[in-house]
Amino acid sequence: MLYAGDFQLTKLEAKNITKYFQHETHRIKALDGINLKVEDGEFVCIVGPSGCGKSTFLRIVSGLDTTEEGEVIFDGKPVNTTSPERILVFQEGALFPWLTVSDNVEFGLKIAGVPKDERREISSRYLDMMQLTKFANSYTYQLSTGMKQRVAIARALAMDPDVLLMDEPFAALDAQTRDLLLVEMQLIWERTKKTIIFVTHNVAEAVVLGTKVVVFSNRPSVVKKEIVIDYRRPRLVEDQNLAKFQQDVMKELRPEVKAGSKNQS
Amino acid sequence: MKIDLDDVANAVLFFAVFIGIWQLVFVLGIWPKVSLPSPYAVAESFAEVILNYTLFTGIGITLGRLVIGFLISIALGTVIGLAMIKFKGFGKTMSSISAGLLSFPSIAWVPFSILLIGFNDAGILFVVIMSSIFSITISTYSSVRNIPPIYIDAARNMGAKGLSLFLHLTIPAATPSLIIGIRQGWSFAWHAIIGAEILMSIVGLGHILSVGREFQDMGLVIASMITIFTIGLLVDRLLLFKLEEKIRSRWGLSSDR
Ligand SMILES: Nc1ncnc2c1ncn2[C@@H]1O[C@H](COP(=O)(O)OP(=O)(O)OP(=O)(O)O)[C@@H](O)[C@H]1O
Ligand SMILES: [Mg+2]
Repeated sequence: MLYAGDFQLTKLEAKNITKYFQHETHRIKALDGINLKVEDGEFVCIVGPSGCGKSTFLRIVSGLDTTEEGEVIFDGKPVNTTSPERILVFQEGALFPWLTVSDNVEFGLKIAGVPKDERREISSRYLDMMQLTKFANSYTYQLSTGMKQRVAIARALAMDPDVLLMDEPFAALDAQTRDLLLVEMQLIWERTKKTIIFVTHNVAEAVVLGTKVVVFSNRPSVVKKEIVIDYRRPRLVEDQNLAKFQQDVMKELRPEVKAGSKNQS
Repeated sequence: MKIDLDDVANAVLFFAVFIGIWQLVFVLGIWPKVSLPSPYAVAESFAEVILNYTLFTGIGITLGRLVIGFLISIALGTVIGLAMIKFKGFGKTMSSISAGLLSFPSIAWVPFSILLIGFNDAGILFVVIMSSIFSITISTYSSVRNIPPIYIDAARNMGAKGLSLFLHLTIPAATPSLIIGIRQGWSFAWHAIIGAEILMSIVGLGHILSVGREFQDMGLVIASMITIFTIGLLVDRLLLFKLEEKIRSRWGLSSDR
């Protein structure tokens, strides 16, 4: 007998994704043929130098941006528009200032026609998880940057998407909250079996979270290396055994960051 | 509502000094009595138009026309503004035309309106609408176009499109800047209705002004000017400005935090 778990299913595949941007005087090639296969239930972390195209890649996967060449295949079909099945947590948060924190979290549910009681229940569950219960009725401009990021995460989780696309969601968090959420993310992932693509600058974070870490090269970007993190969970940042994986990733990443900074000067 | 006693004291002092100077000029007799009556004579004219109800009927008629005209302006102006966004070519042309018509003096619509529609209420409404609608179209057009794209991206990503995107994103995101257009449109409409009533009405506040002129009744003229000033002030300060402040603070746009 065959079980779904016996073989891996490709949830999402990026095929030769190329992206140009027109600037005032010249055209910038951001992505130079990204190829990446993401299996169902995988937790993929992407690292790469600043400006190499990580956010651009997530936007293309979400369907918000289009490509010049190549395509994204999601559940066997090419992506040509956005879908609540692939929810992006924006690097900038992108919360709505005219809504309270809980109404922000419930936005997509309301659009989907989920009844009010059920919405409230879902939003309070995720706000509780993000330790924001006390701020459910506050407006987003009344929150700190780190709190806003947590609202954005809660809003994405409330949508219960197949694929979560997260763009440096922990960047503005203090170390303690980050450690807590690193554990929480692993629990959520294990419990829900979601497919997650998670962009970060923090190599330790990538190694703790990812089933694999993908290193993007300096712009124009290609996938330079995929490093599988085969280690038990839940993983803690302070676990010394993860240091080896971190070094593997750093070895690939460092020359790219250097090349990037040279390009700027 | 909180009333600042200092503000009240300042206002009272200001008006006391103002009336004092007026009385002084009157006593000096620089102008003949018919050209500049005393504050007391103006108060008498005031009492008269209040007691025989002309003032309140006038206010009622003027505000009635104004509200109807302005509501039509908002409805039509919003539709045109949205059409300008939907059809880009139309939007470009129309935004230039609107900018030109925005500074077009409202009085200049009067002869056109009398010949086209007639010497009646509909003609007055036409002047009011033409004078205020372009504030609404321009502000609708620019408010919606200036919505930060990232809000639209986030909403689309969460499944909003078409009508739901419009209701749950476009309208709330554009509201703080829409209200500025509405406030401006209201003040244009207010200018327009008084002008139109002076020239083409047989009732209303503007008409009381022109009656005052015809009968050389300066007391009446000044009394209606004070009324017009007060209504303009009250509507803007107590209604529109308050509303704008409320919306701005609710949207996190107030500077004082
Ligand atoms: N809307 C845009 N218009 C023009 N150029 C853009 C646009 N968005 C991104 N770019 C360019 O594409 C490149 C990749 O940008 P992107 O935001 O994807 O980088 P990133 O890897 O997410 O960087 P960071 O780690 O700093 O967030 C950059 O060189 C940037 O200048
Ligand atoms: Mg980025």
